[in-house]
Amino acid sequence: MEKGKISSLQMAVMMYPTIVATAILGIPSVTAKFAKTDFWLSPILASLMGYVTVYIAYKLHKLYPEQTVIQFSEHIIGRLAGKIIGFIFLFFYIQITGIIIKEYAEFVVDSFLINTPIIVIMGTMTVLCAFVVQGGLEGIGRAAQLFVPLFIFPLLIAIILVFPDFEFKNIFPILGDGIMPPIKGSIVPGGWFTEFFLMTFFLPFLADKKKGMKYGMLTVFAVMITLVVVNLVVLFVLGTTTQTKVYPLMNVARYISFGEFFEHMESIVMAIWVVGAFVKISVFYYATVLGTAQWLNLSDYRLVIWPLGILMIVFGFWSMPNSMDLERFNLETFPIYAVLIQTIIPLSLLVIAAIRKRKSKRNSKGINSG
Amino acid sequence: MIRNVSKLLRKTKEKKPHIQNNYQDSKPEDPLNGEFSQNVETLRLIYDNCSDVMFRSFLLFGKTRAMLIYIEGLSDIEGIEEYVLSPLMQESANVPQPLNDFLVLKMPVSKVKRVKMIADCIESISIGNPLLLYEGESDGFSLGLSKWEKRAIEEPVAEGGIRGSREGFNESLEVNTSQLRRIIKSPALKMQSMKIGKYTQTTVAIAYIDGLVDKTLIEEITIRLERIEMDGILESGYIEEMIEDNPYSPFPQILSTERPDVASSCLLEGRAVILVEGTPFTLIAPVSFFSLIQSQEDYYQRFMIGTLIRWLRYIFMVLSLLLPSFYIAILTFHHEAVPTALLLSMAASREAVPFPAIIEALIMEITFEALREAGVRLPKQIGSAVSIVGALVIGQASVQAGLVSAPMVIVVAITGISSFMMPRYIAGIAIRMLRFPIMLLAGTLGLLGIIMGVIAIVIHLCNLRSFGVPYLAPLAPLKGKELKDVLWRSPMWMMDTRPSFTGKSNVYRQSPEQGPKPKRGSETE
Repeated sequence: MEKGKISSLQMAVMMYPTIVATAILGIPSVTAKFAKTDFWLSPILASLMGYVTVYIAYKLHKLYPEQTVIQFSEHIIGRLAGKIIGFIFLFFYIQITGIIIKEYAEFVVDSFLINTPIIVIMGTMTVLCAFVVQGGLEGIGRAAQLFVPLFIFPLLIAIILVFPDFEFKNIFPILGDGIMPPIKGSIVPGGWFTEFFLMTFFLPFLADKKKGMKYGMLTVFAVMITLVVVNLVVLFVLGTTTQTKVYPLMNVARYISFGEFFEHMESIVMAIWVVGAFVKISVFYYATVLGTAQWLNLSDYRLVIWPLGILMIVFGFWSMPNSMDLERFNLETFPIYAVLIQTIIPLSLLVIAAIRKRKSKRNSKGINSG
Repeated sequence: MIRNVSKLLRKTKEKKPHIQNNYQDSKPEDPLNGEFSQNVETLRLIYDNCSDVMFRSFLLFGKTRAMLIYIEGLSDIEGIEEYVLSPLMQESANVPQPLNDFLVLKMPVSKVKRVKMIADCIESISIGNPLLLYEGESDGFSLGLSKWEKRAIEEPVAEGGIRGSREGFNESLEVNTSQLRRIIKSPALKMQSMKIGKYTQTTVAIAYIDGLVDKTLIEEITIRLERIEMDGILESGYIEEMIEDNPYSPFPQILSTERPDVASSCLLEGRAVILVEGTPFTLIAPVSFFSLIQSQEDYYQRFMIGTLIRWLRYIFMVLSLLLPSFYIAILTFHHEAVPTALLLSMAASREAVPFPAIIEALIMEITFEALREAGVRLPKQIGSAVSIVGALVIGQASVQAGLVSAPMVIVVAITGISSFMMPRYIAGIAIRMLRFPIMLLAGTLGLLGIIMGVIAIVIHLCNLRSFGVPYLAPLAPLKGKELKDVLWRSPMWMMDTRPSFTGKSNVYRQSPEQGPKPKRGSETE
């Protein structure tokens, strides 16, 4: 179905913005709610979830190197049950993609284009993503390769430019209330880290399969470092007021002032952030489209791109009518929902597959010896 | 098997109405007849109403009836008189036998070819080689005496430069191939030629270096060229449009150049060059996006300035694409991003302007494009008048009249200058065209619209291929080592490898570690 091949590096640059793009917006305030001044520790704890998920995804991939989760779940637990699991995955991804599109559009409309109807923002982004998905995995990989540096370097420059506003003493006291607050703070981002399970849709198409695990782990690490740095920057600039902000990073961006000319860079930061959001949505979109086509045994996944795009937008509206719902979903539902679908179910699949394999091995051994 | 079947199916599908033949009774596929007078009659019929075709009948050695057919102005008249007519018309008692051997062996003409088919006769005559027929012989003789007026080798007009060869291709294919051969003397330089165009019968040559080029590339090019079936090829642009990978892309997927040194450097990288008769512009394939913004002089000058100029070009390419849109977006949506002092002066200059920024920008950009187009096609004397009118009326007067603001004129001027920075004219065209949709996006969605436009362009470029080579190679897919010729221009002694997508079959182009290590003067005194 997908004839293209990507390199492990391309997979890594696709996965990186998949987590980072939305996480950097929300993570400071979400973690600060629980962890006060220790919220920069939370991403480190949360990333454990990422390592586990990558490990599970890679082990499953090892057992079924040419298949995605939609295909091999049928092999592991039977046709009907596998289809049901596949449907759960697809439903999850369609809904989540819709929510991400909505989240993106809410951010843009709230902060910049106040009078623009939200459907325009959602629609344009979906059309763009459909356009790149149409081009196939290779196209997404190449686009990500170009966009990710475009996303990281301005971020670094921005951090350097806000340096004068750093209040390093904001970091104290470290672990004043013990270790529990950072752990509590890590639950929500932990849910985000499970999104690394999307790797399972790309692993079968790697040109250098051996490096898949290494690059997956490296990506988790890179994401963790980025989030820690972002949290630290926000902590140094905003201190304890972080938790009251909706998009703390944008508040920080307002502090940028350089030579009295580069001031109020929020719109530029937004423009750059859109690039990351684009990669993120394309990756989700592609995984959903590929999975759906495999689930329906279609010969070409391009058929379902446009219908699914419409469905995603609709899901965005259905699931999240307003930003209050969105926040509640992100804080309360998503961590459990995501961990359940993207870590617990794959883990059970892996366990069942391993047991079955051992059994069949023993059986074959028995036949041989007997 | 399946492929064969589908190929057959395709063949039958492609049987479109063929172009009608105008030769009346005798088909060109027929062989020449044994009868002399009948052959002459056939050719006379074919060249009916062609006043420029000469039929010169004479007596071979005073006995045999013979006919020389040539086109006036395409054949060397003096040569015909001196080397053909005067020796053959000598009356001698004993006619050398056999006559055809004598003609081939003794005639003082470098190229004598026997032709058997009427089609070959026509071809020989039409490229200027006189055709000799005589009684008692079923074959004709094509004499290599073609000579026509051609332009001298001149400096390439569209691709000038300070340092480097001043020779450009011209309209004659032989001159062009000889120029390539003069640079690349190895016999590994191959040229395959074919004729395209029902009426023009234009010669098209594919040049490549054996051992450097990917064989499948030459096959692919040949297949794509053989597909072409049209009336005539007047310029290589005809061929370009027929063999492109994605005909709907604004970006050229084939490079055209009129410089032999550029063509040779591409040959040495394992690319193929397509030379077309009648135009100085040769085609190069496959190319990547970055070869469109590289100039030959990047390599002739020292590497530091080469790198700097390359970056200057990248920056101004982005400017020429985005500057007006950026200006529109900031004026319409993002006032806060401009420092207050600048914003105030911009607002003051825009006070009297009755249009919104997007309309103002569109008016100015379109006017600028019109001015440029007018200047390109006009005779030089009038061209200067256009620029005066443009500068005074469009620039000065419209600002004074309050129709446009002065900053907008500056923006448009910078954009115009940046679009001239593209070393390849065709690359500039793509950027010029794409500027307008992005301006509209900027006018509706602000910076977000610009980013959307840029993302769309990048997606398109990521999926584009030129003869199988990804258009953005080596940046995406990333080939770390090859960035030496993209992000910066490495010194010559570090460019050890060919680009991997074209030079797979022969990776190294020079022996490594050739960095200058001067012996003399290194001892301390």
